Amino acid sequence: METVRTDVLVVGAGPAGSMTAKWAAKSGAKVLMIEKRQEIGSPVRCGEGMSKDWLQEVGIVPGKWINVEVEGARIYSPSEKCLEINEKHAGNEVGYVVERDGFDKQLAIDAANAGVDIWLKTSATGILRENGHVVGVKAKRFGEPLEIRAKVTVGADGFESQVGRWAGLPTNLQLRDMDTCLQYRMTNVDSDVRYCDFYLGSCAPGGYVWIFPKAEGLANVGIGVQVSKVKSPADAKSYLDRWIEKHPGYAKGKKIDMVGGGVSISAPMKQTVTDGFLLVGDAARMIDPLTGGGIANGCIAGKIAGEVSARAVAAGDASKEVLAEYDRGWRARFEEKLYRNWLAKEKLCSLSDETFDKVVDALEGVKLEKLTVHNILKAVHVKYPEVTREFEAFL
Amino acid sequence: MPPSKRSLHIESSGQLCIYCGACVGICPLNCIYLDETRITFDENVCTRCEICVKACPVGAIAIG
Ligand SMILES: Cc1cc2nc3c(=O)[nH]c(=O)nc-3n(C[C@H](O)[C@H](O)[C@H](O)COP(=O)(O)OP(=O)(O)OC[C@H]3O[C@@H](n4cnc5c(N)ncnc54)[C@H](O)[C@@H]3O)c2cc1C
Ligand code: SF4
Ligand code: SF4
Repeated sequence: METVRTDVLVVGAGPAGSMTAKWAAKSGAKVLMIEKRQEIGSPVRCGEGMSKDWLQEVGIVPGKWINVEVEGARIYSPSEKCLEINEKHAGNEVGYVVERDGFDKQLAIDAANAGVDIWLKTSATGILRENGHVVGVKAKRFGEPLEIRAKVTVGADGFESQVGRWAGLPTNLQLRDMDTCLQYRMTNVDSDVRYCDFYLGSCAPGGYVWIFPKAEGLANVGIGVQVSKVKSPADAKSYLDRWIEKHPGYAKGKKIDMVGGGVSISAPMKQTVTDGFLLVGDAARMIDPLTGGGIANGCIAGKIAGEVSARAVAAGDASKEVLAEYDRGWRARFEEKLYRNWLAKEKLCSLSDETFDKVVDALEGVKLEKLTVHNILKAVHVKYPEVTREFEAFL
Repeated sequence: MPPSKRSLHIESSGQLCIYCGACVGICPLNCIYLDETRITFDENVCTRCEICVKACPVGAIAIG
């Protein structure tokens, strides 16, 4: 069997993988990134909404992959009272609606320009270990088995991640830790290019319905439903179809595309590194459990992962103690927010439609300095103190 | 019939499955594998726990 050697091996060419690969190469390592698909970025499994304040931090230059720049978000309660949040208030939660396949390809191009080697149609099929240390993966390239040996192996294989489990990191999710998602791209709908819309409550148990505008009359219309709240097979589809039926501005539209997928809504993982190995992006369950967004965290963590991997290679030591710098790095950057948003999501999942209505009603017309869980609760407290009693931990 | 004897069927011929990977990510035994539009699962490892049935957004998995 053929054996290939590299310094850093990245499994998966999504945003987290390309970012890791690019920064490892920029920091001096020899990097190979493998992707099981035949096309990077496609098929798209994404609502394509993302914030933009983090792009500069990780060295991404806005490009042709931007479809629209929204002004704000509108959050609808079950009785469809609307809370409008403009960009200034929302901080980093609104921004662009993008062409995900174009975005992912651009990040791969950036990685290639930094010196990364990229292999398509190459899947990791198992892990290689020596003395407990991960030393690479077993893989298949165009169907041919081979071994890829690396000083540092990075699992960037997304929600489906198997590499992490093979390496012994506990990425398993409980039913309550995941939303099952379905999305149609719809044309001839009454979406508004200025806003990303979110519909909360029993229309999407443990999740929400989203409308992310792609162009005038064209939008991604999707839903996430907490798996523990699924009663019968295909609930995600049934809920979404029902929502569309009830909204004439969407019921008249035509579907031109359909995608699905899983989104983790779990608390942050306790461990993301082991000897010779680290996990990044969705594979490390870095999705924001409140918003379901994972692009930004994956990229931010990817940059840190790449830099730390290259340093470990240069030092000739990729033990978990050395790679722990990555673990500390991403935690310092966004773990607290992940954790707070996880707590907030746990609460939100338990609210009745009536309470949702009260929350949104209380916020109507209130000018929030910045949209944080804390500020929202303070505002709700003024009008409905009984609603915020359950949330005292946040106040 | 004991649960382990029931069979799990993934309608992955393209009639229902949209190859989204939701089942792959949640299977507690890591026994489903997705490669582009081909799904394989390890019959011998699967416990018929039905978790993947719930996780599938389009109802492409059935146990019977
Ligand atoms: C329906 C839906 C809507 C979403 N909407 C949004 C949104 O609006 N905004 C947002 O920020 N996030 C959203 N997300 C989450 C977002 O898509 C992810 O957080 C993001 O893609 C994570 O990037 P990643 O690089 O970690 O993983 P991925 O983008 O999933 O990339 C992983 C890559 O690894 C490859 N791979 C997997 N296994 C192997 C293997 N064994 N060998 C080789 N390659 C492998 C895969 O083919 C894939 O290309 C959504 C998710 C879903 C499912
Ligand atoms: S029934 Fe359970 S063990 Fe079997 S494939 Fe589905 S999730 Fe995995
Ligand atoms: S969750 Fe359903 S649609 Fe998605 S890959 Fe699995 S069987 Fe196919």
